[in-house]
Amino acid sequence: MNKITDELYERFKKNLESVNGTCVRTSKENLGKAVAGIFTEAGIPDTCIVETPLLKEGGVINALEEAGIKVYTDHIRLNAETVKGGVSESQYGIADLGTMVQARDVIDERIVSTMSEYYIGILRGSTIVPEYDDMFDILAELPELPNFVGFVTGPSRTADIECVSTVGVHGPLQMSVVVVDDE
Amino acid sequence: MSSEALKQEIRAALDNTTLARTLGTFCKTYPAKREKAYEGVDFEATRNKISEVKRYAADHVDEMISEFTKNCEARGGHVIVAKSKDEAMEKIRALVKEKNVKTIVKSKSMASEELHFNKVLTDDGVLVQETDLGEFIIALEGNTPVHMVMPALHLNKEEVADLFTDYTKVKNAPVIAEEVKTARKVMREKFCTADMGVSGANVAVADTGTVFTMSNEGNGRMVGALPKIHLYIFGIEKFVKSISDARWIFKALPRNGTGQRIASYVSMYTGATEVVTDKENDTKEKKEFYAVILDEPGRRSILAEPEFRQVFECIRCGACLDVCPAFALVGGHVYGSKVYTGGIGIMLTHFLIDEGRASEIQSLCLQCGRCKEVCGGGLKITDMIRKIREKNAKEHPNAIHKFALDAVSDRKLFHSMLRIASVAQAPFTKGQPMIRHLPMFLSGLTEGRSFPNIAQVPLRDIFPTIEQDVPNPKGKIALFAGCLLDFVYTDLARDVVLDLNSIGYLVEMPLGQACCGCPASTMGDVENATKEAEINIEGMEAEKYDYIVSACPSCTHQLRDYPTFFEEGTEMHKRATELAGKTFDFCKLFYDLGGCEESGDGKAVKVTYHDSCHLCRSLRVTQEQRELLKNTKGVEFVEMEEHDNCCGFGGTYSVLYPDIATPILEKKIANIQATGADVVAVDCPGCMMQIRGGLDARGLDIKVKHTAEIIAEKRGLV
Repeated sequence: MNKITDELYERFKKNLESVNGTCVRTSKENLGKAVAGIFTEAGIPDTCIVETPLLKEGGVINALEEAGIKVYTDHIRLNAETVKGGVSESQYGIADLGTMVQARDVIDERIVSTMSEYYIGILRGSTIVPEYDDMFDILAELPELPNFVGFVTGPSRTADIECVSTVGVHGPLQMSVVVVDDE
Repeated sequence: MSSEALKQEIRAALDNTTLARTLGTFCKTYPAKREKAYEGVDFEATRNKISEVKRYAADHVDEMISEFTKNCEARGGHVIVAKSKDEAMEKIRALVKEKNVKTIVKSKSMASEELHFNKVLTDDGVLVQETDLGEFIIALEGNTPVHMVMPALHLNKEEVADLFTDYTKVKNAPVIAEEVKTARKVMREKFCTADMGVSGANVAVADTGTVFTMSNEGNGRMVGALPKIHLYIFGIEKFVKSISDARWIFKALPRNGTGQRIASYVSMYTGATEVVTDKENDTKEKKEFYAVILDEPGRRSILAEPEFRQVFECIRCGACLDVCPAFALVGGHVYGSKVYTGGIGIMLTHFLIDEGRASEIQSLCLQCGRCKEVCGGGLKITDMIRKIREKNAKEHPNAIHKFALDAVSDRKLFHSMLRIASVAQAPFTKGQPMIRHLPMFLSGLTEGRSFPNIAQVPLRDIFPTIEQDVPNPKGKIALFAGCLLDFVYTDLARDVVLDLNSIGYLVEMPLGQACCGCPASTMGDVENATKEAEINIEGMEAEKYDYIVSACPSCTHQLRDYPTFFEEGTEMHKRATELAGKTFDFCKLFYDLGGCEESGDGKAVKVTYHDSCHLCRSLRVTQEQRELLKNTKGVEFVEMEEHDNCCGFGGTYSVLYPDIATPILEKKIANIQATGADVVAVDCPGCMMQIRGGLDARGLDIKVKHTAEIIAEKRGLV
């Protein structure tokens, strides 16, 4: 996997921002600090988190707890009903759309990215492909499509009342992606 | 339902000021938003691919069903193929009963609306909750969707607040952001406790057994993530073969639907996904996943009709609604099927819901063709609507229409009627150039505009007196006058002749010509349209001329369409093809024959341009006339907003639905006024009559001129 280029990162960021998302880029060692920083700034008191090796290596749980944020790592389905934040890793990104792609059937990851008020998705820079078509090429060539694949682009939104675009209906009101540079 | 009842519904819709404002704003901003969303994406190529992959699936539909079934079941899903809507609903009821389902959360599924899903299960005592915000609001209101993508457009935030207050028993403020929060709170509880989730599919993939759902609100994701049982309901028209094929649809669907490059969520479910079955113990299991495929007679009948098979290539983006001038005014309720609305809705209603209603609402179509331009599947929507109109005209002939069209296709009778009219109108014109008041029985005609006089002397009698000074003619052109040039705008016909003379062509007017047949075609009367084609093929004698010119794009379009009236290989088909190949609209022919030289009297005049539907969308002529005008010395050319929006004339439409045609014309006039132009140039005498009448009725001193007239005037040819 190639490290993400500055150009590709900027493209991803610009497109995510155009749909009311935010984006930061960090090294693995600073991942925890980056995630905690976002929640601290937004005043998020607690979060569910679905840990992966990357999140572990990045010390995300520690950093969150150090920042005084309560962290839940199990009983996600239950806790997500009351907890404000959600953190999980996704498998791919699409720079041209600012999209993160969940491509595995882990229910807790779907729950935190759908039920939280503020969701942070973590992406390895090397997994961000330039275009929508690149993503479909990858999916089409997988020996077996995962039971669940989900494209997530920014926070949830609606324009159902008077055509006024409003952020945050059933899904997150705010959404950030933290892009981690590969070593 | 009678036409009168439909007209009353139209009036009620027009009286809804919220609908007018939100729909009006949406439809006005939609084209630019859509265009921006397509930056860097080749729309034509995309929709060609959509059409290709959907057509493939339609041609192999049985294979799609069996492959999907096999692959979905291999991944732990259960598939039910229902051969009727009743069967589908019965199986769903049985499933709901067997699984002891008490509460259901639904994300949007139009197929479920066809089944009356909510009503049937509610009657069974099941709590069915719509979770899409718009669907939730109209469910509270007890109404049906006014738009396929935005179902509650007809309600304002105050009305929504009242509905929410009634429902939650807590006072809701009329603030949109707060209302959205209320919806989130109310619905969250339902998601967390529901026994079953129900989804509709945007696409189903045969090779993998995958269903796709796109949503912005996240309710689709919630329905798929929380309940232990997940039911998908979709029709056989949703299939594509592979995941790779599915990509094309999601390239066009968000861009066409809402002007977004992608929606917030696109989810793909393949078989049974993981779900938490006991949240207290954090138990995770595979969910129970069911797909009900509607393979019922209505859908099969679409496949059986070659002229309508294309309906299967529809991606339900709603773009045909968003660009329709009639829909922009009345919204979806008057389409009345309670499920599908707008252009494509007419066909879907015809085949899937209620043929009778479809035969009524097809008349709302102006045949302006804007929907065809933006359709995500490349469907020839207006042509299909016309086919429904033809079926309708055959099955339920309208005596008055029939008489009028019979009269038009009887050249002698029509001509003598018009001559009588030219005398009889005198009492109404009061010596003025425009008729301001017509007797009561024609009152629909004059609402918001005036009508021109019928010429005292028809063109066919004037024509021989036009002096044509062409010393060494380069060729000979036949003029197809059409009704409006022959009997109303005879001066315009003269200008067409003089313009063509000025670039070295002689013009003749074959006297055997009659009405082109466009009115008959538009009203679905194939018999008279064919008769008129025959008369004109005989009468025009295309074989004798280099070209045939018409200054009316609707006539040009009709003449060029003649080969479709005759069987290939016949003599008439051969002659029709020759005539069609030689027929051009004035501005296109004049430009192509070298008429675009820089000349003119240099006198300053500000000119804007209105594109006629037939010229810009059927004949695809948009640049030639602008070049001609811009190259005319003295002309300052300025584009108006929405220059290619219909003027509301639509042949007989303005007579049938003055309530709709009048506001369309008003918009056009506002756009014209905003340019500050002295003259509106047009290339269609129908548009000329409509716009001129509208300006006159409002006492506005803006002239409407045909491009041929401007050229003749500015070049000093008259």
